[in-house]
Amino acid sequence: MLERADTGPICLEKDFELKVLLPKLRGIIEEYKIEFDPENIVPSDDSLADDVWRAALELYLGVGTYCTSTHRRILFDESEIREAMKNFPGRFVLGYGKDSRELSHREIEDGRRPFCLFSPDITCDEELFVPMSMAYLQEPLADGVCAPILEEVEGRSIKTGRPFELKGSAAHAMMFREAARRVGRPGIFLQGVGTAQSDAAQIAVSNPIWGERLTDGRFVASISELKVDSSLLNKMVHFHQYGCFVGALTGPILGGYCGGAEGTAIVGTAYHIQGLMVNQAHYQNYFPFHIKYMHNTTRELLWGISLTYQALARNTPLISLSNGFAAAGPCTPMVLYEAAAHGLVSVVSGANLWEIAVARNKYKNRATPMEAKMACEVGCGVAESDIKRSEANELAKKIVSKYEKEIAEAPLGKAFQECYDTRKIKPKDDYIELYKKVKEELRDLGVPFMY
Amino acid sequence: MLLPQVLGKCYKRTVKRKKLEGENRLSSETLTERLERFVITGQEEAAEKTAIEILNACMDPLEVIEENLFSAMKFVGEKFEKGEYFVPELLCAAAAMEAAIRVLTAEMKGESKEKLKAKKIGRVVVGTVSGDIHDIGKNILALLLEVSGFDTYDLGKDVDSMKFIEKAAEVQANIIALSALMTTTRPAQKEVVEFLNEMGLRGKYVVMVGGAPTSKEWAEEIAADGWAETAEQGVKLAQTLIRER
Repeated sequence: MLERADTGPICLEKDFELKVLLPKLRGIIEEYKIEFDPENIVPSDDSLADDVWRAALELYLGVGTYCTSTHRRILFDESEIREAMKNFPGRFVLGYGKDSRELSHREIEDGRRPFCLFSPDITCDEELFVPMSMAYLQEPLADGVCAPILEEVEGRSIKTGRPFELKGSAAHAMMFREAARRVGRPGIFLQGVGTAQSDAAQIAVSNPIWGERLTDGRFVASISELKVDSSLLNKMVHFHQYGCFVGALTGPILGGYCGGAEGTAIVGTAYHIQGLMVNQAHYQNYFPFHIKYMHNTTRELLWGISLTYQALARNTPLISLSNGFAAAGPCTPMVLYEAAAHGLVSVVSGANLWEIAVARNKYKNRATPMEAKMACEVGCGVAESDIKRSEANELAKKIVSKYEKEIAEAPLGKAFQECYDTRKIKPKDDYIELYKKVKEELRDLGVPFMY
Repeated sequence: MLLPQVLGKCYKRTVKRKKLEGENRLSSETLTERLERFVITGQEEAAEKTAIEILNACMDPLEVIEENLFSAMKFVGEKFEKGEYFVPELLCAAAAMEAAIRVLTAEMKGESKEKLKAKKIGRVVVGTVSGDIHDIGKNILALLLEVSGFDTYDLGKDVDSMKFIEKAAEVQANIIALSALMTTTRPAQKEVVEFLNEMGLRGKYVVMVGGAPTSKEWAEEIAADGWAETAEQGVKLAQTLIRER
């Protein structure tokens, strides 16, 4: 694969987007007649899911992955993709000792509990890093945790590619390990290190004593759409040789090169093939999002999420975690509805969960474990209750109708330190009360909960 | 020219005419209306051919660019803002417009070229900041700025902070527009402002910031002149900041 990044067909980046990806995607959408249906957020039509899979496979075989550093396309043939899928284990044990958990491929309407990864997906003040990490790590439903991202270390700004990025990344890894031990879960699966964007910083934190262990996971991102560069490939090579788990991090953009809901669903499914073939990833973090509002909780995005996961569940052994992006912020009813809708739609369609970026994923300190807890409580409840896609669809429509008109003006809510007692690491009473109220409201609508 | 009405008619007529003649042409459509339609529907080759026909018909290329091409792209930009068009439609429309402009300006005389240049609102140096490899938002902004009458100098992605300043000096820019798509690359926006301050150049350029992890508060914190959440808002902000200057 690496050789293909140096020898594949040469192509200008602009031509890859305009002359390779766009016409192929448009042709495929037309050929397979895939059409967004706002009344079917969770489609029950297996043939539609299979069409999305075939469309994604055809797209990826025709387009491949573009390497922006070498200006070449990395291409695979179908037999290579089939071979890679046949040899993919479909399950892994993450973390170690009593804190280890199994992450596996899921089926549609799967009755097994999904793997739940809790993550704030946002930056935080240096002094809040440990309390915020501990708040997420102590959540009983969390099978794994990803820490917030540092913007400063020792009061100095962290800039990608500079020495303070390495210092900040090391501090991130050390403090996160400390936080996990302090909550009594030293072996929990840690996904890291978000502060390290460059390949050098990622390589610097691979250390079984104080940093990223072999039982932890690391990400190789992609560039929108279906692109990588040498820095990303450097990380991939290092992670595999170091021996930790490797995740592919992909977020196709609705309204971007993918176009609408249909293109986003197809490209999103194709990204999972890229994750397997280019990153040789053990799992995928999947977060399609809206180009303007940075969310994925409205009908067109939930429809695409559902179809991507159904397509993968029916046609592949791949493992993927569905990453929610909510428009509203913490301590608002809206963010809890958005989280519930995302957890519901994802799990019934065959996903594991990665919850949840909130407040449009742009405001420092603005995330708490309460939003992730709602998404995962709903997701686990859905699995346990064995509800069908058609039932989930009716529930999803009811929940989405509560907030969809407010997306553009979604309330930003409160920051972590306003929602939590940061010394005792406990949610404050107003958020606990709000959570209970929304949970009862959702239960009354028919949303299943485990307890 | 009421472009939405024209577009609506065009779609209906296209279907009808294809059935009747099998040609990509509407019988009652003028050359300039046809050119607008090809830009709005992103048909690059057809737009190029129509531009040649326009030149052959001895029409004023400057007037066609100003009256028809720019208004067609403005209409495309509005559809993008409303969420009715996505990036592919925007890019195809821009490619069609560029193809037509290439033809129309090739034969243009010096005076007309000067007039066209004089119509520009301002010069913007735009790029994604150091360490950041994402460029979709920046690409849309550069495109919309260009079709809104700005001379745009796109430095690409992962641009060294000093390069923004060097380019701005070289082209005598009015605005430096900085995009960041990651929280960890956002500090590079601040670095450009710091460089300008320390080099005594801060008053010379308007600095705009944008991108997913940025906000009004962030722009205020780093003492940028403005922040825009979307590319369309970025164009409006640039227009406002130029007016106020």
